[in-house]
Amino acid sequence: MEKIKNYLSKKFDQYEIYRSQSNSKSISFESNSLKEISSKQAEGTSIRGIINSDLTFASTSSTDPDKFINVIEELSGYPIFAPIIFPDYTKKDKQVQLYSSDTYEFPNDYLIDQIKLSRDKILKVFPDALCDSGFNLIESESQLENSNGLEIGTKQSYSGFYVSVQIINNKDMLNIYDGSSSSLIINKNQIIMITEKIIKYLKLGQKIVNPPKSGCPVLFTPSGLLQSIISPLLVSFNGSNIAKNLSKLSNKENTKILDENISIYDNPSIDYSPASKNYDDEGVPAKKFDLIKKGKFISGYYDLKSSKEAKRQTTGSAGRSINSQPTPTTSNIVMEKGKDKLDNIIKSIDDGILIDSLLGAGQGNELSGDFSANISLGYRIKNGKLIGRIKNTMLSGNAFDALSKINHLSLETENIFGTINLPYLCTNNVEISS
Amino acid sequence: MEKDIKNIISDSLKINGGDYKEIRIEENNSTRITYRGDSRENISINSGIGGCARVYSNGGWGFSSFNDIYQSKNKMADAISLSKLNSSESIDFEKNSVGKVSLPARSIKNPKNISLNEKINILEHYKDLIVNKKNINGCEISYGDLERKVIFSDTLGNEIEQSFIHVILRISANSTDGNEMLQSGFSIGSLGDFTIVENLDKEVNECVAKAQKLINAKKIEGKESTVILDQILAGVFVHEAFGHLSEADNVYENERLKKILKLGTKFGNNDLNITDGAKIPNLRGSYEYDDEGTPSTKTPLIRDGELVGRLHSKETASKMNEKNTGNARAISYSYPPIVRMTNTIIENSNNNIKDILKDTKDGLYVKNWYGGMTQHEMFTFSSAETYRIENGEIKETLRPVKLTGNLFNTLKNIDGIADDLMINQGGGCGKGGQMPLPVSNGSPHIRINNCLVSSG
Repeated sequence: MEKIKNYLSKKFDQYEIYRSQSNSKSISFESNSLKEISSKQAEGTSIRGIINSDLTFASTSSTDPDKFINVIEELSGYPIFAPIIFPDYTKKDKQVQLYSSDTYEFPNDYLIDQIKLSRDKILKVFPDALCDSGFNLIESESQLENSNGLEIGTKQSYSGFYVSVQIINNKDMLNIYDGSSSSLIINKNQIIMITEKIIKYLKLGQKIVNPPKSGCPVLFTPSGLLQSIISPLLVSFNGSNIAKNLSKLSNKENTKILDENISIYDNPSIDYSPASKNYDDEGVPAKKFDLIKKGKFISGYYDLKSSKEAKRQTTGSAGRSINSQPTPTTSNIVMEKGKDKLDNIIKSIDDGILIDSLLGAGQGNELSGDFSANISLGYRIKNGKLIGRIKNTMLSGNAFDALSKINHLSLETENIFGTINLPYLCTNNVEISS
Repeated sequence: MEKDIKNIISDSLKINGGDYKEIRIEENNSTRITYRGDSRENISINSGIGGCARVYSNGGWGFSSFNDIYQSKNKMADAISLSKLNSSESIDFEKNSVGKVSLPARSIKNPKNISLNEKINILEHYKDLIVNKKNINGCEISYGDLERKVIFSDTLGNEIEQSFIHVILRISANSTDGNEMLQSGFSIGSLGDFTIVENLDKEVNECVAKAQKLINAKKIEGKESTVILDQILAGVFVHEAFGHLSEADNVYENERLKKILKLGTKFGNNDLNITDGAKIPNLRGSYEYDDEGTPSTKTPLIRDGELVGRLHSKETASKMNEKNTGNARAISYSYPPIVRMTNTIIENSNNNIKDILKDTKDGLYVKNWYGGMTQHEMFTFSSAETYRIENGEIKETLRPVKLTGNLFNTLKNIDGIADDLMINQGGGCGKGGQMPLPVSNGSPHIRINNCLVSSG
């Protein structure tokens, strides 16, 4: 490393070195039985060097410094324009908790027992179900340093648990997936909660009913809301898209773009959330910031390069993997809850749909906020009650239109993947076709 | 180094334990160049080495991957102990071995022999063809080449060394009227041939024109419609609508699905024939041996509308008592091989596309792709270009659409298969977190009735 550092300090006006090492293990059950246990070890180094505003990036997973220096030398002939200055170290008074030494130490036997507990609960109610489920544990460390004296070491732990259940009846295949993640171990209570939620939806899904006509109210579960509307919406908040005029939101700060009941923020300071961070991956202190406040566009999410290009401040949102340059990345996305109780929302709907999961979302023109997908898990609401599952039905629309006027926002919120927190949302401004 | 690797492999396989053991060591070198908006966004050269050990015991697998190949013996020991946590009964795999084999990469025009400078000049030129045009607010260009050398060895006596060179390029133009953001693009790829990247001015200019036209294009209302798919989108269709369900790892431990997907079951009309095979040469999904050392094959999946075969790994073939087709593939040393497609095609029939079109009163002509996904019997795929068909003629441009279907209905709803098979190599497939795996898809033009379609 000293050899590389010496080379970088001679070659460039400014430089940055990012290193990461990780160990992970996973346990996977397939079709109700243990299928594979794996462990992975990975490490890598990437560097950025700047002369004037010309930036060079290189990465490697090999340990040969001479070979790496040769690659950097070659790439420095073809720099990218990036008028950025690597940050100094800023001390943070309050540190967010990202690591627990226990997480990675949980023994395989314990994890296998937890998976079996969930599987057996499901099989007790649905003996014909096939469960694919598993645990994934990761322990990772990264070191970031730059020529302005910044040195940051980060240690993170991660645990993820998932269950995917399939039930086949004749030619109908019902599939329900759920899971969660945390820097702490996903505990027994959480596993039971996830499992019970799946059982509830499996029960509801046994009866297939016809979908209602388009124009009906559509209620999204937090997970359905993320897949259909929030994901394409966030594409327009990506600082890199804003900077390159590829976003509808370029230069639209403080304009009303959505229903005034909608407020969304990015919060990197939630203890033990896997998306939390003290500093972003360029060393900028990360803190909570608003994306939308009462329907008004407040800010996109930026790293150093995109904020410079868009003439805005960085929001400390740089994320990176070893083989790629930093890009704007969200941390924990939170949508503020509403006033209506979920039960009351459902009761208020004469004829509508509850959407929980989509197939093929995100494979269209997301820059416009458009979405379109097959409703892979959705239920019909009739006279205030969930009456059965709908099939072979499509949802389409535009994220901005769908949120321009909403009917209800629930008091209850749910965590999705352990990093995104959203309420249930009801709108009429989407299209249903079947 | 070369000798080191050989020793590391043979020493690791000598460790006691496990019913079956394998080790894979890989070296790769890749170059990536991307443009976004009106400028170059990324250029990187990455080199890496790593490996993995995989062990079968007690009816399940232990797997351990690593960057530091000098740790191989320890990692093999880890994989052995992890595999012992399984508690089912092991089954016997086919014991066939091909022994020692070494195969060079297919190389027509090796990207390694093209200087970085030349690659950049070509891409820069395409960028210039796109930016600063009327209503165009930027481009997205993504070029990648990858050289991958894989050494595989197992306790059956296989010692197989294979190399691959992949080239991929995606180019798209972004357009806007100041409010809506639209894009039109295309993807191409090859096994070992850089020439596909050259001389694309015509295609790039067309891409710009299509992006400009989209601004005034209308969205369709969601409904069931007759659709004619071009060869590229029909290739994505066969991959999503049928290919994934032919992967035996979905079926082999699923009794109900086994009954539904029983060989001999009729899924399509008499002129529907679907084939997958890495043995089809010189495509991005082509290889001689899969990542378990099994020789590749060409597998008929549907013949005259009837299910006749499926794709297998060692484990699924043995469990189902069917022939191993050599479809176990891993995206890199960080992952274990799983059952994957290779080159998947709908075979030609004897209709002319002009006749199919003439016979279509009211429908959509859908071309090119954004993506596609499958969840069991349901699938979606999206077009990059859509045109209205009226009285047998192609009319105005519409906004791209998403199409969705169901295995049990949609294949039967194919009522016209043309005779103009073309293969697209610009795609990659994702499964079990392993993405993008090089595959190719191909088809002639096909017509599907009553396909559910919506805008976006």
